[in-house]
Amino acid sequence: MIGLSPSPRRLWIPFATLIVALVLIVLPMQGLIKGFMPDWVSLVLIYWALAMPGRTPIAVGWFSGLLVDILTFGIPGAHALSKAVLVYISASLATRIRVFPIWQQSIVVILLAGVETVILILIGYLAGEIIAGLHLWTAAVVAGLVWPAVFYSLRQARRLTTLGSD
Amino acid sequence: MAIRAQNSFWRGLAPYILLSVVLIAGYVVSPVAKTVFSGLAIIGIPIHFVASLPSTMLDAMQGRLTSTDQLRREAELLRERNLILQTRLHRFEFLETENTRLRELLAAAPQAVEKVTLAALVAVNLERGSESVLVDKGSADGIAIGQAVIDAGGVVGQITKVSLFTSKVSLISQEDQAVPVQVARSGIRAVVYGGGANRPLRVMYLDRNADIRPDDVLITSGLGGRYPPGYPFAQVSSVQRNISEPFMTISATPLSRLGNDREVLILWPENQRTMSSRSSPQGPEADQ
Repeated sequence: MIGLSPSPRRLWIPFATLIVALVLIVLPMQGLIKGFMPDWVSLVLIYWALAMPGRTPIAVGWFSGLLVDILTFGIPGAHALSKAVLVYISASLATRIRVFPIWQQSIVVILLAGVETVILILIGYLAGEIIAGLHLWTAAVVAGLVWPAVFYSLRQARRLTTLGSD
Repeated sequence: MAIRAQNSFWRGLAPYILLSVVLIAGYVVSPVAKTVFSGLAIIGIPIHFVASLPSTMLDAMQGRLTSTDQLRREAELLRERNLILQTRLHRFEFLETENTRLRELLAAAPQAVEKVTLAALVAVNLERGSESVLVDKGSADGIAIGQAVIDAGGVVGQITKVSLFTSKVSLISQEDQAVPVQVARSGIRAVVYGGGANRPLRVMYLDRNADIRPDDVLITSGLGGRYPPGYPFAQVSSVQRNISEPFMTISATPLSRLGNDREVLILWPENQRTMSSRSSPQGPEADQ
């Protein structure tokens, strides 16, 4: 973990933020609030994919998606697929998105969360498990609204490391 | 092919898409994959544990902070309730003996007393878009898919997925859940569908002159073999008769607290006495 250079790379920090997001996903909450909760894992993945596009492997997105499937008793592979796609899109557009002001980034995040929701609904439909409800879409909007907070707190976390750049 | 310039779609993303599709297809097609996957749920236990810590700590703190005065008052209240319930129980005992006697006269099988397991909630609303909770009892405790779950108010839902130490309860409010019920007052049978998150249940297929009114209590009818008969289910909140349509539009509110309580009861199926003809996945050893 700690390299030879005087400033440690602290590669575990991105993984720690992912674990925190996974815990937030299964945090017991009242029904109504829970419906509006964004997918924290997606937000964290988007952040790291934007901050270090070359060094966020799609595998990380895939495996954390699989963990989400396991934790939520969902369809195995559904979140894995959607989050792999999410990391891929964010990493390929990173250089463009990173220069956006934060509110424009929020809009991109809403779109990305929307894409993920569409993928999940499609897979649910094909697998014969109903995933429906208006709050699926409100959660995507909420993801965009909380993006500035996620962005600044994760940037603080990233500055503890020598990884990536703004 | 046009995105060859990026060069990472085919080499980067495509293998993972393929892997996911294989997983999903395996899950849909083969029951073995389902079992393997539910075994993997063990990985999630530490994360579920950490996620449940705040509420557990809050509970413990509440216990510490309650004053003796408060406790005394609560004990008083409970004693009173206990008294009332006890007197009611006496009446029920009398009715039950009478009921068994009458049933014997009719040569019908006596209603078995059901076995229940107390389970605590681990997580609520697992997936967005599906109304479900996770409880802390699994196949290690003998829980199987299809068992009914109730709380103090009435029916909560049924077990739909089981792992070693946890299982998923689909709530009756979930849109693909349909439960055969009976109006307690008039005995009319109907099927109640879930309406989705925070929306009323829908009572379906009752024709215009069926005897049902607002405030009627619906109980499970036991048809279909999933839910045992006689458990309180929902209360009718509104009844609309449309002359142009063959069926009424009826909505109802669940009587149970739908997973807002900390604990629920998992019912064990009665002995295969009544459902010998049907091979429902209800036995504790049945595994899907």
